[in-house]
Amino acid sequence: MKKTALCLLIAWFSLTGAAWAGSTIKIPVAAAFTGQLASFGEGIKNAAILKGEEINAAGGINGKKVKIVLEDELCDPKEAATVATKLANDPKVSIVIGHLCSSASLAALPIYRDAKLPAISPASTNVNIGKMSPFYFRNVYKDDFQGLFLARYAKLARGFDKVAVFYEVNDYSMGLMTAFQKEAKKLGIKVLGTEAYTSDTTDFKPQLTKFKMMNPHAIFIPGYAPQGTLIMSQARALGMKNVAFFGADGLDDDLMLKNPDAEGLFVTTPFLPDKAGPHAAGFIAAYKKKYGKEPNWFAANAYDGVGLAAQAIAAVGEDRVKIRDYLASLNSKEKAYKGVAGNTYFDENGDCLKEAFVKEIRNGKWVSAEKQLQ
Amino acid sequence: MDSLLDQSSLFLQQLVNGITLGGVYALIAVGYTMVYGVIQLINFAHGEIYMLGAFLAYTMVTFLGLPFFAAFILTILICSCFGIILDVIAYRPLRNAPRLAALITAIGMSIFLQNLALMIWGSQIKSYPREILPSIFYQTAWGLGEVTLSWLQVFILAITVVSMAILHLIIHRTRIGTAMRAVSLDKTTSALMGIKVNRVISFTFAIGSAMGGMAGILVGLYYNAIFPTMGYIAGIKAFAAAVLGGIGSVPGAMLGGGVLGIAEVIGAGYVSSEYRDGISYAVMIAVILFKPSGLIGRQIGEKA
Repeated sequence: MKKTALCLLIAWFSLTGAAWAGSTIKIPVAAAFTGQLASFGEGIKNAAILKGEEINAAGGINGKKVKIVLEDELCDPKEAATVATKLANDPKVSIVIGHLCSSASLAALPIYRDAKLPAISPASTNVNIGKMSPFYFRNVYKDDFQGLFLARYAKLARGFDKVAVFYEVNDYSMGLMTAFQKEAKKLGIKVLGTEAYTSDTTDFKPQLTKFKMMNPHAIFIPGYAPQGTLIMSQARALGMKNVAFFGADGLDDDLMLKNPDAEGLFVTTPFLPDKAGPHAAGFIAAYKKKYGKEPNWFAANAYDGVGLAAQAIAAVGEDRVKIRDYLASLNSKEKAYKGVAGNTYFDENGDCLKEAFVKEIRNGKWVSAEKQLQ
Repeated sequence: MDSLLDQSSLFLQQLVNGITLGGVYALIAVGYTMVYGVIQLINFAHGEIYMLGAFLAYTMVTFLGLPFFAAFILTILICSCFGIILDVIAYRPLRNAPRLAALITAIGMSIFLQNLALMIWGSQIKSYPREILPSIFYQTAWGLGEVTLSWLQVFILAITVVSMAILHLIIHRTRIGTAMRAVSLDKTTSALMGIKVNRVISFTFAIGSAMGGMAGILVGLYYNAIFPTMGYIAGIKAFAAAVLGGIGSVPGAMLGGGVLGIAEVIGAGYVSSEYRDGISYAVMIAVILFKPSGLIGRQIGEKA
């Protein structure tokens, strides 16, 4: 008796499940929406929702409505693994947009690989990610490119010869540092010293005191904004007035604008609204109208990520493996997805090569740097 | 660049940084050690009082527009009230329960307060806008070549030393201090002698929390970073400082804080910044291994 009831229950669930799957297409977006790095996730959330609404307004994908589902993993590898397991076991999920932080991506990636679930990360730049899974794609450049680009820019555009590196102990920061050091050596930039910190650090003075004695032209911070802003303030408080600071996309956060000591900071970014070209104008205008501010690069890449996922589902349906094969087939400039943040096409690892720009803080605002390196 | 002068000024600067940090650890550690001395409870929610101190002062200065020093005094008073409330709500009902029960309640209060702060203030790091604070804090009080000591550091050290001195006088020269020492020796006998034990315990919480809150304000100022989980790491560090000095001993907490602060900064500066926390805990473990009662802890006898 009990057994039949259970069978009926299961049958009912699977039937209704199928019915739901029939009417909407669920696209989960996994990133940090709360916690210290929530401001990174905000752009991703806003842009994904915007793109979802635009797709639905245009009739959805093959007549089905898109539903953007937000999965908060706080950029924490443990949380990311939990979210990934949940999504991998959800038969209604055929593609994931995520994750944000490299450490979270590295934790989620094997779970998606085993479940044959494709994912597109709009923001994870660690070098190793693409190689580790045929199911993990990204529409952002890698740290080896970013680090190399920064070294060239520091030397060729700014003329820095003596640089110190202040990195965070995590996959993203250390990958970036390695790439930077490699290129710096080639270009003849002297790396005077490297020091580390952990994400829960608030006291950076011992390391900065060491840097101060080395007299660098600039300090490279391949970390995130919450610590970056503190580092810059504490350096100024220690009397380091003439040292320049620069970083990668991790410091690209409006949090930095609240800090008067961050004036002059420059960072790499995959997307600059005023350099983005005419095809991005519609996105920038719609984003500004809906959220009252300019989209940052997280927003641009998430917008493209959802667009790419929608294009894949429209082409091959909701089959995980078919979607993966479709994404992998976008492997040349001609087949590229033409998004607001440039053209996305994948190499054999699922990585992509895109342009980098430099922006800096002038008078308390992010602006395109006068000197670009193109 | 590697001249002897540069090396010695580097060391001096690190020492200045370490002593400032140590002073803050000592202020928090005193709260742990006093409560432990009186009721043998490790008050894990103490780190959260420190965090609340930082947030309250920040809120008063930035949102209510109070002058900094008014906010400073007010926050300390509120924090000592929090300490008393904490004791009355969470620990007093368990006074005669097994010690483990009170310990678990302490951890529970810690999690509760941390999440409360998360709900009220959010998870983003808060910073004081510079123009709002007295500008003297950012000026150099004393500079010798590359070594600088800011007025803020002077302020932190002065507050630490003065409050420690006052604490010493309270414990050794006042009736309530005598009562505290009596309760720490033997609660039951003290009660028989007419000491109002609960009042003494409340007073202990008030003083300890006032110092914890004060440390929170100072750290919030010094690093200009205020966030809900700040109490956790600081609490663990200060607890380590209290154990290092000898838990239950007030001078021990001061010494432990100083040693831990300096060990941490010198470790980060000279050994490896990657293993900064590891180095400070290793120092603590080494001391405990060779001297289980801490640097100046007593095996038995009076505690506070």
